[in-house]
Amino acid sequence: MAAKKKRTPHVGNDSWVVIAADSAVDPQQPGGDPSLVTLRNPSTGAGSLYMLSSGDWRLFEVKAFEEDFHSWFVGQAVQRDGKLLFITPMDPLYLILPYLMKSGIEAQGKFQPADQVVMDEEFPACSRLLGCTRSLASLHHVTEEKEVGNLKFHRYSQEKTLSWLRKKVERTVAALKKRSISVGEGVKSTTYIRAKPEWDYSQEDYLRYAHGLISEYISEDLSKALYKHLELPEISSPKETEPSSKKRKLSDKSVEAEEDYTKFNSADFARKPPKKMTAAQKSLAKVDKTGMKPMSSFFSPKVKMEKK
Amino acid sequence: PSLMDLSPFESDNSVSCRLTSPIPDACRAEECCLGIDEAGRGPVLGPMVYGICFCPISRKDELKDLKVADSKTLTEAEREALFEKLDEAKSYIGWALQVLSPNTISTSMLQRTKYNLNALSHDTAIGLVQYALDGVQLKEVFVDTVGPAEKYEDKLSKIFPGVNVTVRPKADSLFPIVSAASICAKVARDHAVKHWRFAEELGEADTDYGSGYPNDPKTKAWLLRYLDPVFGYPQFVRFSWSTAQTLMDSRGVTVQLDDDEEGGERAAQRQNSRSMLSYFSAPARGDNPNSTGRTHRFFSDRRLRSLDTL
Repeated sequence: MAAKKKRTPHVGNDSWVVIAADSAVDPQQPGGDPSLVTLRNPSTGAGSLYMLSSGDWRLFEVKAFEEDFHSWFVGQAVQRDGKLLFITPMDPLYLILPYLMKSGIEAQGKFQPADQVVMDEEFPACSRLLGCTRSLASLHHVTEEKEVGNLKFHRYSQEKTLSWLRKKVERTVAALKKRSISVGEGVKSTTYIRAKPEWDYSQEDYLRYAHGLISEYISEDLSKALYKHLELPEISSPKETEPSSKKRKLSDKSVEAEEDYTKFNSADFARKPPKKMTAAQKSLAKVDKTGMKPMSSFFSPKVKMEKK
Repeated sequence: PSLMDLSPFESDNSVSCRLTSPIPDACRAEECCLGIDEAGRGPVLGPMVYGICFCPISRKDELKDLKVADSKTLTEAEREALFEKLDEAKSYIGWALQVLSPNTISTSMLQRTKYNLNALSHDTAIGLVQYALDGVQLKEVFVDTVGPAEKYEDKLSKIFPGVNVTVRPKADSLFPIVSAASICAKVARDHAVKHWRFAEELGEADTDYGSGYPNDPKTKAWLLRYLDPVFGYPQFVRFSWSTAQTLMDSRGVTVQLDDDEEGGERAAQRQNSRSMLSYFSAPARGDNPNSTGRTHRFFSDRRLRSLDTL
């Protein structure tokens, strides 16, 4: 019934559906229009989209909600792309950190001014990060500082960085608890409301979840270092874990099949190649179609009567 | 002008609507027979109407004298005239209609769990008999068949024990009470189609759509004219009819729903999310859950990802 539908290639949009604080995108703010910039993603190392607003004072990250089979009706138009963009505030220190770490190795422990460190040929916009109000004021969280006259010099400190990240993790844990976000290993539906709320997540579950979340904003190496720093236990692979002794059957009897399935091995039960059916076809196949004829059957030529 | 007042349906023609005559006192006091028939099963346009008609068994002959006959053998004017006669006999004849809007038919047949026309027909008939049972002393029910007669008769007998159910093909020409029901249904259907009030802003809508049957050239021409590439058709059209679907597929924009062909694994892959199956196969990456390349589940659960460009 369903006709073959072809996916036509996506065409670029010139409009987007965005959720952002008014203050983030308000062109009336001092500093003028916010601007979208591509900067180096500290986790992947590749370019990602960010937004600087109010004359580069504030940094935002851009995330997209994207799921198949969504489109927008915007005013009197249809937008094929059902993406929903979220523009949310972000600590610029995450984006500056990789440059500090790199120079920490390259400069072999020398103190350097920040504007000489935060440079990137591929993403030149990165120098604008230092314009954010928080940037220079928060560098001391991850570097040792020296002041010579009016100039400040910085040297990356792993130790300070890890304790800064620990605070981030702890704050994230608090936020996760406040929002009752499911952090356990088991999959739980957020739409399934239990009569009694479950508060059975251990602090370790929260820490591990928060660590994973923060790891989205730092390099893999730093993520591993942070994991150790948080003194989280090594995760054992599920392959090695044995079934719990409770679940094992306490019986010496040999296990026998209760039914003999070999009788199905005859030719009658030979496996037929599985037919591919869509969900719609499957459910359609189940319904009672007795007495219904396809419309086409009414228009096909009548079968000729055999002549005697 | 028809005697039948369809305004309750016309005030919202997107849903199913029940229209009823008052129940005659005679039908409350005496054992009655009831006929069921439908009009507008095949057309791609307009509602399908189910009708019941009932009268005391003792007055069946009077009904015969009204010369009600299978509505298909009558002209529209003749049907109107016969409905007028039925209305004049309201002291012992009652009727009830269920008008199933084309929108109801479309959404039933095209919903995720398909609800086909036979099931919809059966349930509508059952609903109407149930309605009558609540006031009328029902003894006999006569139905024109939908699907195999025996199966349908069995089904109805089980639902209405104590009522004698007869399902016969061509019941509308065999039993006058079924003919009467078919006239009520057909009059309502004609009226609804003729005076269809379009919910859509079509301006001066062209109402020259012919019979509404898919093979009518006028109907086809109308369907071509009123096809909107994005929305398809006005609610007057049954979207679930293959005529309408074929035209929408070939001339409208492609609309993909998540129970279309490409489901499951492939869609999951393209979406960079995990399908259920992936939990049962060997992990693609190393065991380290912190390795990059895989988004943390806070984001993947929420279908959130970073963008490299807009």
